[in-house]
Amino acid sequence: MSQAVLAAPALGVRHRRILPHTTLLALGLLTPSLLLLAAFTYWPVMGVTLRSLTQQRFGQKPSWGIDNFVRLFADPHFSTAAWNTLLYALGTIVPSLALALLLALALREQGRLTTLLRTIIVMPLLIPLVAVAALFIFIFLPGGGLIDYYLAALGMAQTNWLGDPDLALGAIIAITIWKNTGYYMLFFLAGLAGIPEEYHEAAKIDGAGIATRFWRITLPLLGPTIGFVAVIALVNTLVQIDHVIVMTGGGPSDSTNMILYYIYQQAEQNMDSGLASAATVICVGALLALSIISLRALEQGIHYES
Amino acid sequence: MRILAGAALGLSLLTTAAPASATTDIDFFFPVPVQGKLANEMTKLIDQFNRSQNDVAVTAVYTGAYDDTNLKTRAAIQAGRPPAAVLMSANFIREYVINDEAIDLGPLIAKDGQTPEKFIAQFWPAVRTNATENGHVYGAPFHNSTPILYYNTDMFKEAGLNPEKPPATWQDLVDAAKKLTKSDGKTMTRSGIVIPSNYDSLGWVVSGLAMSNGGDYYNRGWGGEVYYNTASTIGAVQFLDDLVHKHHVMPDGVTDAGVASNAFFAGRTAMMIQSTGALGFIRDNMKLPFKVAFIPRALRNAVPIGGASLLIPKGNTPAREAAAWKLIKYLTSPEINGGWSRFTGYFAPRMAAYDLPEMKAYLAQNPDAKVAVDQLAYAQPWFATFNTVGVRKALEDQVQAVLSGKVKPADAMVNAQKAADALLRPYVEQTALKLPQ
Repeated sequence: MSQAVLAAPALGVRHRRILPHTTLLALGLLTPSLLLLAAFTYWPVMGVTLRSLTQQRFGQKPSWGIDNFVRLFADPHFSTAAWNTLLYALGTIVPSLALALLLALALREQGRLTTLLRTIIVMPLLIPLVAVAALFIFIFLPGGGLIDYYLAALGMAQTNWLGDPDLALGAIIAITIWKNTGYYMLFFLAGLAGIPEEYHEAAKIDGAGIATRFWRITLPLLGPTIGFVAVIALVNTLVQIDHVIVMTGGGPSDSTNMILYYIYQQAEQNMDSGLASAATVICVGALLALSIISLRALEQGIHYES
Repeated sequence: MRILAGAALGLSLLTTAAPASATTDIDFFFPVPVQGKLANEMTKLIDQFNRSQNDVAVTAVYTGAYDDTNLKTRAAIQAGRPPAAVLMSANFIREYVINDEAIDLGPLIAKDGQTPEKFIAQFWPAVRTNATENGHVYGAPFHNSTPILYYNTDMFKEAGLNPEKPPATWQDLVDAAKKLTKSDGKTMTRSGIVIPSNYDSLGWVVSGLAMSNGGDYYNRGWGGEVYYNTASTIGAVQFLDDLVHKHHVMPDGVTDAGVASNAFFAGRTAMMIQSTGALGFIRDNMKLPFKVAFIPRALRNAVPIGGASLLIPKGNTPAREAAAWKLIKYLTSPEINGGWSRFTGYFAPRMAAYDLPEMKAYLAQNPDAKVAVDQLAYAQPWFATFNTVGVRKALEDQVQAVLSGKVKPADAMVNAQKAADALLRPYVEQTALKLPQ
């Protein structure tokens, strides 16, 4: 490489050669990370895709086809898991983003009290999700748990939060909102700090009220931040299911089962790697599509910049 | 000069290393299903084994819970580096045999001048089925448990019940539970009984109730059939449904095993069904006086076995297999097996362990441990099929729905049977339905 770079001027065709040389240099510099990416990302992705198209059932020779996908879409457990994941995503992303934005707006000013409050709100971020789950098992304990203790004082009956198929997903959603809101608030605080104060002052002089300023200035200029946080939140709903595993194992009656846990069940409990791979392909495909759509939509919506 | 000295040193190292090379290094995967202190005790046991002889050096690898151990063992087998020995949940052995991943222990037993029949006859009858397949021995039972009834004796007295006469039949159980349940209007402040109904616990409990209700629950000789949509199982599930929705003596919905223990410790339930393996844990944490009793019966006394057996995965060299076998014989010897039982609360599957004076003294001191051993006479094999976990979950999903009042037992078992049959289908097609062409 260095030889080629040194040799180039001597040949006297410097102008034509510059581009290929920089490309070569770039390639050379990128090689290590490309190799790592290929070995640990692209290769496994290809492997999973190939496996999703390999039909291998007990005692039979493997063959190619889309049987895994046919079986996947016919499996009621998969549709339940997909539906639950959708409810879980909607139920966590919308409230936690709204709450995070509200909190960021309320706590954007620097001050001793706001700093303290911000720290308290971000605190759940520092606790590992598994520890959170272990903690909340006791908070949700029917009869003796913290929640039932206070509800009993209000004269309400004891509730089996995690053991009732109608309530379990709601309980899981509530924990996730509690855990992630502070994290998203940090992004919004950063986003708000990037909005020049002059816009607000100009709008104020023109007689715009708080609501108008929020809808016309703050929200549009926060667009990129909202888009980014939404994608992060979306990925989180798919991959952060530690508390589901610890608290309910996907139950009762599959009511808190998620796609990621479904993939685990197929791969490790039912030894059905074809079905697990097919579910992975569908899940990653959907995630990719949703991320692109949400980023595009928000990019197009930003017309105040520059 | 230096090179020569180096060579001489190398030679001397080689010669001194020679006797050491007779030592076979093996790895041993073990799970800890209950508490952390068990892992330390197992490490101590292995150290003790390593010091007791010079032929085998064992590295004990803690591999998490039963399911994690299964997962890691399979991954190691597929990677071509199987562990020499594994302590495996006893009902997974059948799947290792179906997938041709565990060795038949017969030849190793024969080398000791024994027969497989004689070898397995050293263990309690109840644990033999899960360790054998078609007359071949694949597992050596190491520790076992059954469900048992725990009850709060103070609450029995307070309700006018005799703590010396715990409920023996399902009818007794319902009568006692009704007297023991307390409520203020609509809220149950103390339940008569709690039965763990999370995944894993629930399948185990229902299989026991179905067996007590006259059934077999699953085909003991072949892994392709379960008997969910049968009178014996439907009756058992109806019994659970009635405890919740008819007699109102058990909380509705799903109760986790940990939550059940917690309710028992806090006096929020008078009775609880739980594993004998939890005996030590409950003894340590229960402040109120309690006793244990047989699980009440329907048509007959019956409880399912739980626990773990030692197996040798396929793909090891004969030397490693022989070394693993030596370790297995050590761990299942009456002394070691009995000591582990006293430490953990599991019962020792090796019958001779109970002839030792330490064990007799222990049982005399701990009458609750004696009840657990006495109940062994009525123990039945543990539910094991192709795709055991998935097939078990097919039932559990439905029973959980019954406990939550979403579906009636008869319909639930139709659904469960259908789901289980679908999971068993690939195996059935390759075995019972694979007919001559």
